[in-house]
Amino acid sequence: MLAQRRDHALKHLVARHEPDTLRPPADARGGPRPLRFYLRAGVILIALGSLDTVAQLPLWRQAPTLATVNLIMSLAFIVTGLMLRRERGQRGVAWALILAGVFRSLDFIDAWNTGPWPVYAVVFGGIDRVFGAYAVLRYPRPSLGRPQRIYLAVLTGWMLVTRSLVVVTSTATSAGYPASSWWPTITADPRLSGIFVIMEDAGDAVFGLVVVFFLVRRLTETKGLDRIVMAPVIVAGLAAVAAASATAVAQIFSNISKGPTDAFLAEGLVDFLLPLAFLVAVVQRALLARNLTGLSARVAARADLYGVRYALRETLHDPTLEVLDVSGATARASRGARSPDGPARELPTAPLPADALPSARPDRRLVEVIRTDAGAPIAVVIADAALERYRGLFDAAVRTSALALRNAQLQAEAARAELDSVRASRARIVEAALGERRRLERDLHDGAQQHLLGLAARLTAAMTRTRDPDATAAFGHVRAELGEVLAELRDLAHGIHPQTLVQSGLAAALEEIAERLPLAIQLNVAPYRVPPTVEAAAYFTACEALANAVKHARATRVRVVVRVTASHLEMEIADDGVGGADPSGKGLAHLLDRISAADGEAAIDSPPGRGTTIRARIPCG
Amino acid sequence: MRIALADDSALFRSGLVLLLQASGAKVTAEASSGDELIACLFPAGPAAADGPVDQERPDAVILDLRMPPTYTGEGISTAAAIRARDPDVGILVLSTFAEASHASQLMEAVGSGVGYLLKDTVTDAGNLISQLERIMAGETVLDPSVVRRLLARKRSAGKIETLNPRERDVLARMAEGRSNVGIAQDLFLSPRTVEAHVTSVFGKLGLGQTDTDNNRIRAVLAYLRSADDQD
Repeated sequence: MLAQRRDHALKHLVARHEPDTLRPPADARGGPRPLRFYLRAGVILIALGSLDTVAQLPLWRQAPTLATVNLIMSLAFIVTGLMLRRERGQRGVAWALILAGVFRSLDFIDAWNTGPWPVYAVVFGGIDRVFGAYAVLRYPRPSLGRPQRIYLAVLTGWMLVTRSLVVVTSTATSAGYPASSWWPTITADPRLSGIFVIMEDAGDAVFGLVVVFFLVRRLTETKGLDRIVMAPVIVAGLAAVAAASATAVAQIFSNISKGPTDAFLAEGLVDFLLPLAFLVAVVQRALLARNLTGLSARVAARADLYGVRYALRETLHDPTLEVLDVSGATARASRGARSPDGPARELPTAPLPADALPSARPDRRLVEVIRTDAGAPIAVVIADAALERYRGLFDAAVRTSALALRNAQLQAEAARAELDSVRASRARIVEAALGERRRLERDLHDGAQQHLLGLAARLTAAMTRTRDPDATAAFGHVRAELGEVLAELRDLAHGIHPQTLVQSGLAAALEEIAERLPLAIQLNVAPYRVPPTVEAAAYFTACEALANAVKHARATRVRVVVRVTASHLEMEIADDGVGGADPSGKGLAHLLDRISAADGEAAIDSPPGRGTTIRARIPCG
Repeated sequence: MRIALADDSALFRSGLVLLLQASGAKVTAEASSGDELIACLFPAGPAAADGPVDQERPDAVILDLRMPPTYTGEGISTAAAIRARDPDVGILVLSTFAEASHASQLMEAVGSGVGYLLKDTVTDAGNLISQLERIMAGETVLDPSVVRRLLARKRSAGKIETLNPRERDVLARMAEGRSNVGIAQDLFLSPRTVEAHVTSVFGKLGLGQTDTDNNRIRAVLAYLRSADDQD
């Protein structure tokens, strides 16, 4: 038995290595019940109800209340059994309940007071309890444990044997029945009969206690969903045992011929708890599906592995449940070979972490793989094997989680794509702006500057040819102003886009700036070339930072450090000025914008009185 | 004085030609790019094996720094190409913007008899001619704006005293415009050793450890200054 279950669980583990393991949903059991089912159930109910009515026909006159309670009791068991038949793996329990109901109705067949019925009632009067005990002890497991099976066998044997012995050592009259009824007396010995009655009662008491023991043990041992579902059944079972014991005590002390009708009545009412408890359990199981609503809300609210793990643990009442990320493993495995029609065959090769398997018995865990629509695994759900009994719920919960995870992944992909496109467009804008600057500088250089320089040369040439002092003085005037215009134009062109930056890189361009500023500037610039947009962003940022240091910070010393790593350009500009710079001020805000336009990040640290430090990091990989 | 010149701006070129002619120089060749000028000065074919014809041979060439095709540092590469073909011709590179790194690259590429001046020099005919004469005499001429900036930044003279004789040899040859490889050949050292000496020179002059162009030129300036002081 155990080996078989292990094989079953192993199959699930092994199934992880095949692509199409997300088995078809177990909807067949959860769907609406067909009309045929109701028809058959109705026929069975009417048949057994009639049987019950006929069986205890005389009782309707003698004790109508008891007869009514009996009928309702039997029908309740039968109805519960019929409902349970639809539950996965609960056919045995269902039949036990139906049979308990049937035999329950036959318990009072001795009310006929004739023929073999009184004997039947005495010998087989406890059979309904055997079936009831079977149902209570087994539910909701697929089979009965070995101790319980032995117990039931001994109980049945003991009951039938002692009761038979009571019958053959007594007569119909001594048992409280009319002499006309059939009675297989072998030797009428009241003393012997009394001993057998005591044996029978003692057996009842012992077996009752054993059932109590079994039930209490199960109540303490089970956990999770099993406990929620079983608790009412176990409590009802305990109550039924208590009621039966009370009846037995009442039987001992009451007048046997009259029969303890009230006690039977009370027991009947208590026993009613049992089918009720099963019904509650069935409803409870159905209601578990309602948890899925909460689950879907929760996983939608937080659709990452932790959120899903937590939600699944709560919903499935399994604190050992694990959700493991396998998307990375597959991404690594299938990188470069990703094709839409051929989902990655290889599954997570990474071994499961040891703590994911608290029982250290992987064959006892339930494993399900969550995949993308394309079939690539996203996550693995590992749960208590007990959830196999709630396969429908488990599968539905996993499907809900899978949907949320898949959606989250799609959203993340969409967001990433959007971010990529924004980045790309920003990069294009920055590139275009840089190109525009270059074009402007070149236009100035090739156009106005050369034109003016040409004019200056002609003017100078003309000056060398004239001897007229007035003309020379006038020429000199024009030449001086031309010189000023040329200088201004040169600064303008250089400010728009410094040629040094283009040709010699950041280090040279920053040195040039440093040479022109009235500050002690310590440069430590990595002599590597990076993409032009990055160089430009860093250069203009540094220019603005240095201009700030001169204009606002009243600094005397500045240190500029530029490092170039494989992926980033990192720049730090620290001055010894007054600090307290406002990052939202125009200059600094512009500086920060420049960095973020280059997809970089920047931070300004400017405590009052302790200088200003600007750190920037621009991707250049 | 025979001058050949290359500049991609026809306006500036014609102005310069006028100026040079007015100053008594003879413009023997004019081109709009470095390659064109080289083709003009050194025509291909067997006759060219002896170098340019004497009457046509310029005493100096004037080159624009930014010329086709890339408008970056064509002036410097053209200078190097001309110097390789004619070791005696003076070379003046003009630029709209004076950049120390370009001056240094030029010195490295051409050695001595070279100048790097702002185009603004054309507003002073006398100065232009006298600078050309100095270049033709084998001197190295730097635009005052370059020198001023470099000197304003680092006052390294005096630290020359801390150099050992070998480092001073290396620095002297750097001042002559030699490249590291050239210095290595001169002093019978490996280029790696020369590099080490150069780095050490920079360190002792307080110029930072790496062989950037500007450091090189600053070291040379420091050397030249110290030589002036001693004279």
